Amino acid sequence: MTSIDVQDLTKEYGTTRAVDALSFSVRPGKVTGFLGPNGAGKSTTMRLVLGLDRPTSGTARVGGRAYASLDDPLRHVGALLDAQAAHGSRTARNHLLALAVSNRISARRVDDVLAEAGLAAVAGRRIKTFSLGMRQRLGIAAALLGDPAVVMLDEPSNGLDPEGIIWIRELMRRLAQEGRTVLVSSHLMNETATFADHLVVLGRGRLLTDTPMPDFIEAHSHPRVRVRTTDPDRLRDLLLAKGYVLGDADDGRWTVEDARAEEIGAIAAAAGIPVLELADERASLEQAYLALTAAETEFAATAPAAAPSVQEA
Amino acid sequence: MSRTAVLPVAHAEWIKLKSLRSSLVSLVTVFAATVAITALVFATVGVAEADNADAEPLFDAFYAFNFGQIAAISFGTTAVSSEYTSGALRISLAAVPRRGLFYGSKVAVVGGLALLAGLLTGFGTFLTGQAFLGDDGLGLGHPGAVRACVGGGIYLALMALLAVGLTAVLRSGVAVLSILIPFTLIVSFVVGDMDSGVAAFLPDKAGQQVLHEAPTGTLGPWAGLAVLAAWAAAALLAGWWAVRRRDA
Repeated sequence: MTSIDVQDLTKEYGTTRAVDALSFSVRPGKVTGFLGPNGAGKSTTMRLVLGLDRPTSGTARVGGRAYASLDDPLRHVGALLDAQAAHGSRTARNHLLALAVSNRISARRVDDVLAEAGLAAVAGRRIKTFSLGMRQRLGIAAALLGDPAVVMLDEPSNGLDPEGIIWIRELMRRLAQEGRTVLVSSHLMNETATFADHLVVLGRGRLLTDTPMPDFIEAHSHPRVRVRTTDPDRLRDLLLAKGYVLGDADDGRWTVEDARAEEIGAIAAAAGIPVLELADERASLEQAYLALTAAETEFAATAPAAAPSVQEA
Repeated sequence: MSRTAVLPVAHAEWIKLKSLRSSLVSLVTVFAATVAITALVFATVGVAEADNADAEPLFDAFYAFNFGQIAAISFGTTAVSSEYTSGALRISLAAVPRRGLFYGSKVAVVGGLALLAGLLTGFGTFLTGQAFLGDDGLGLGHPGAVRACVGGGIYLALMALLAVGLTAVLRSGVAVLSILIPFTLIVSFVVGDMDSGVAAFLPDKAGQQVLHEAPTGTLGPWAGLAVLAAWAAAALLAGWWAVRRRDA
């Protein structure tokens, strides 16, 4: 089994500590969401895993080995770091062909991944004519080239259209189901919640959370239910009588805090109240994440000082 | 370093080079421009110059090298600077994390291609120019002619490698071109004409000794080329140090 193991990893650029004594493991068979605000050290950590940057101290290993010691590394680890990095003057096919040849991957595989990424029709076009979404797809195609056991994607949904976002989400799920190790960075909690099984959260280069996704949701967001009825007054009285806390009401639509759809549905049905809409909501997940990282956000917009202090002469 | 990895990586470098228009055009230009300029010059002023008592027929045969070497420098520069545009180096080093293997393969492919183009250019230039002179033209049997053609090819390859090393150090094609081209076009002309001892050891001045029938000064033809080779080796070593040490 191939996992990514980061141990006491520290990287300093001048006086800035981009990654600070970071330790975590990414296991095979699931999608691990790698979260943190901009500048939290996610991309730096990925570069350190790939041996592109040298750690100030600590180690990053893939399957127990340093990346640089792997033979034909693209057959072990596929990475998308920056979709803009591919040289624009080359065609998509030549870009992938050079990568494939260097790692003894067959040229047929180039056409396979181009087709898989939906780029077969534009394989002969220069990369500089590509939209950001097409470049992302090309970067993902490059990551899949060597059929690797470990896949690392840095913000893969950047620039993708809605169809592309669904594609990448399903691709990541499938890669994990095939038993691969999948690490995907993002700065959006709600997006990550749609595909990740496990969560690693960074803030200012430090590990904030390393936990299974369901545990994070359980711990950080209370459930609530959105319900709409033709008889709001009766439902409200009924729910208040049962001790539920009701959120905002608007046009016969309620939110019921700390409740699940099956409870509220049963109560309404028992009382014979018609329900037009009933759904579970996890509204506070993003808030929980923001609260977790608030203190660790490097580039947060700060409110201007209330009143400028007047300096006396 | 596994022995089997060298060929695939060199092959990949060749694919990268030939799929990059700027590099490929520079490489073809080394030959095409040099021969074309030679044809132009010799068709117009060649015969008149051949009668000139001060003329040095063998060295003058390679007059167009002044332009060809700029193409050679451009070739070496663009081949490496393409790695430093928008983080392409990260993709390359993720595929080939052994930096010695990566850099060595690139140097070998660029150097090999430049040498091939250089040798074709050396002989092509000499034969084209002399063909215009009719009976006054030199043949390959002329003393030093073959040495000048071969040495001229090596000269162009070494200039390309000098540019490779410098580009790896400076990580910018623009910076390297704006150092090397003015240097070969202006500085070396001016300083070279001063004929001081130091000027003879400038890379292009020293390397061009091999084009003279009977070189004057401290350096002989091959010694001059060796001095240029030392410059190129120093640049390549500095480039290796930069590629090995720096974060990508």
